[in-house]
Formats: sequence, C-alpha cells, structure tokens
Amino acid sequence: MNGENEVLIEVKDLKKYYGDNHVLDGISTEIRKGEVVAVIGPSGSGKSTFLRSLNLLEIPTGGQILFEGVDITDPKNNINRTRQKIGMVFQQFNLFPHLSIRENIMLAPVKLGIMTKEEANAKAEELLLRVGLPEKADTYPNMLSGGQKQRIAIARALAMNPDVMLFDEPTSALDPEMVGEVLAIMKELAENGMTMVVVTHEMGFAREVATHVMFINEGVIQEENTPKEFFDHPQNPRLQDFLSKVL
Amino acid sequence: MKNLFVVNKIRELIEIFIERFQFNFIEEDRYIHIVKGLFNTLEVTVFALIIGVVLGVLVGIIRSSHDKSDRPGRALRILNRICSLYLTVIRGTPVMIQLLIMYFGVMPALMHGGASKLLVAILTFGINSGAYVAEIIRSGIMSIDPGQSEASRSLGLSFYQSMRYIILPQAFKNVLPALANEFITLLKETSICGYIGFADLTRGGDIIRSATFSCWMPLIAVALIYLAMVMIISTLIRKLERRMRINER
Repeated sequence: MNGENEVLIEVKDLKKYYGDNHVLDGISTEIRKGEVVAVIGPSGSGKSTFLRSLNLLEIPTGGQILFEGVDITDPKNNINRTRQKIGMVFQQFNLFPHLSIRENIMLAPVKLGIMTKEEANAKAEELLLRVGLPEKADTYPNMLSGGQKQRIAIARALAMNPDVMLFDEPTSALDPEMVGEVLAIMKELAENGMTMVVVTHEMGFAREVATHVMFINEGVIQEENTPKEFFDHPQNPRLQDFLSKVL
Repeated sequence: MKNLFVVNKIRELIEIFIERFQFNFIEEDRYIHIVKGLFNTLEVTVFALIIGVVLGVLVGIIRSSHDKSDRPGRALRILNRICSLYLTVIRGTPVMIQLLIMYFGVMPALMHGGASKLLVAILTFGINSGAYVAEIIRSGIMSIDPGQSEASRSLGLSFYQSMRYIILPQAFKNVLPALANEFITLLKETSICGYIGFADLTRGGDIIRSATFSCWMPLIAVALIYLAMVMIISTLIRKLERRMRINER
C-alpha cells in the first residue's frame, strides 16, 4: 500500500552467528517510509536479534543494512550519527533511574548538541503531553508503573525526532491491564506516519495497525505479507501452526 | 573517709596527666610536630586519593569494557593486558616496599637527585590506591544493567558520553561504601611514610616520643587524631550517600 514510498531501510542477506548457532541465516527485506512492520515469530527465532541489528546493537556476522541509502555495517560509517535517527524502545524500558523523567527525555538532544536546554525542555513537555503524563516531569522512573515507564521510554526516543522507531517487545514486560495504554500511543504514532518496526506478540496490534507482517523462524523470514493475507491465508505450514496456537 | 581517698587519688591522676601533657606537647612547642605531621598526612592522602581515583576510573573502564565485549579489539586487548599487569604487581606487593622502591630506586633514576619525600609519598600511594579503586569501579560498572548502555547508545550517545552521563554516575553510587573504605584505608596506610623520613602524623608522634621517652601520650594522641579523621570521613560519606539516594525513593 506504500509501494511508491521511498525505501528507508534495506536489509541484504543479514547473518548473525554465535559459533555454530545461526541466529540469523540470511534475512533480506525492505522497509519503506511510513510503513508499520510487525515482526512475529516463536521465541528464539531471531526476531529480536534482527531488530537489534538494525541499529547495530548486535553486530551482524554478514550481510548489509542500508539506512537511508548508507551502509551502516561499514566500519567507516559513524554509527552514533545513524542511531540518532533510529529510535528504540526496549522490553525492559531501560529508563535512566538516576535522572528525572524530564532529564531522561532531555539528555540525548542536549548532550548531542541538537537542541538547547530550553528547546529540549519545550520538546519534553510537548512529548509528555502527547504520552499523557505531563504531571510526571519531575518525578523519577522508580515512581512510575510499567505502562507509564514504557510511555516515557517512547517519549525519550521521540525527543531525537527519529526517522524510524524500533520496538522490541514493548508490551511483553507489562501487566495485562497496562498493555492497552502503550499500544494506544504506538497506534497514534503509526497514524501520524511514523515508520515503525515492532517485534510483538500482540496479534491484535499486528492485524489492526501494521501495514506489513513478517514471520521470522529459524533465522529466516518464512512469510511476509499484508496483515489481512497474513492472518487469513497463511501459506507456510510453520506459520499456520504458530497462528493456530496464539490466536 | 573512703570518698576522700578516691577524690584525692583522682586529683593526683589529673595533676600527673596535666604535667605529662605539658611535658610532651607544650614544652619546646612539641605539639608543632603533631600539627605539621597532620597537615602532611592530609596532603599526601588528598593528592593520592585524586591520583588513585583518576587512575582507578581509567583502569576500571578499560577492564570492564574488555570483560563485557564479546570480541574485544586489538587495542583494547593490549590495554587490558597492561592494566592486569599493573593490578597484579601493585596488589601483590606490600605498599611499604613500593614506597622504598619509589624513593630509593625509581625517582632517583628518573630525575637527578630524586624527588621530594612528599612527591614520592603522593605518587606511591596514588598508584597503589589506583589499583584498588580500579577493581571497585570495575565491579560498579559491571553491576549496571546492560540495558542502560544499550538505551543510551541507541539514542546516539558515544561510548564516552554513555559512560560519563549514564553508567558512571550509577556505578559510583553503588560503590560509594567500598570507595569510602578505600579512602579510610589509604589515610591510615600513609602512616608508613616515616620509613622514608617523611614527617607525617605518625612520625610527628614518634619524634616527640624519642624526645620525651614517654610512649603513652604521643601515641595515644596520634591514634585519637586518626580515629577522629576516620569518623569525620565516615560521617561525610554517609551524608553523601543519603543525598544521592533521595532520587530513588
């Protein structure tokens, strides 16, 4: 549906080996601007490793990742620069416990010289409003619930004005009643045109919000399709089996 | 009757105490040895502490980076080798031998006529303390969840920025009690400076002892001063700890 949009991330034959363990065994795909890609698969399938490779938190063993046309696996590429444009949200939130919520959001833009303190502060307040937690600006992460922490983590990543957001099982560590508030913010992000890659077990979210669903198993993409086709007419037997268990 | 006897006995003891006190500290201004010695001890401790912390943080970062990375680069491997050697040698030999080697061997070889006793003491205790601080800092860095560094690096912070703003502040808070311990040990360890003839606090008491031939007064005075300094440091550190923990509650 976004076929005519430009390609933001191009992955070519991505491989990641730990000794004899082939976690990623040749993954190739394209992620276009404005797409929301849901990545699903059984645990240990390599889907998190795939996501973490996209900003080189995992160093690939082989293959290429082109981000906005630049090969980021090339050692000459300044990875810190690239990461400024790739926001990431983690399963365990990873907020900085020694900094206030406001400081969590302001730190990167200020220390990287992208915004002045005043600009970053204004941005922080705007983002806190967007994730519905303006009153939490001067509290510390330990005082927040899991869902609130994850909403702040999303705000922190957004403060850098990224071109793409990576979500690594963002709701898996949450109490069930808090999943909704985080998914709502992700949905709002998607509706505003943010390019997103989401590793998730939330099939409802994948079906409803994603423009594209990817099934990774045994280190390769076994099926990739629009959500409707993907869920209604799965082709791969392993995917059929997987869906029958989770749906 | 018995009461009177006790009172007289106490009065007698107080008089002896005052007399001994005057003899040991007031006559010929002998207290000067203690005061000067105290300042020298503090000077050595403070500068050695600064060197120790700088060295320790550096070595601690190198060692923990090496331990954490699954495929350390060549430069990091060589640096780690050098740091391990430093730790092995410094922690494996008595600080007194290090002091003597520094005073009689290393410094005369480096500069004509050798360095001042103060400088020798500062360098020796700084280098010595650095080895212990390094292991404390390393354990502090290793105690921080890897997710912290992943989150900061994913925002685009460099390795150094991530260390400086995210990892080290948290690591420092975790190891503050251990660092305080090292600080206290360092202060007391400088009491061997007398072996190179440096006039530290212990030496000050010793000079008085050899002049007055009384052991109790000068040695107890010196001991009490060390004790007071350690108690002051402990109190300050405890206050600092409490202030740093406010954020988390």
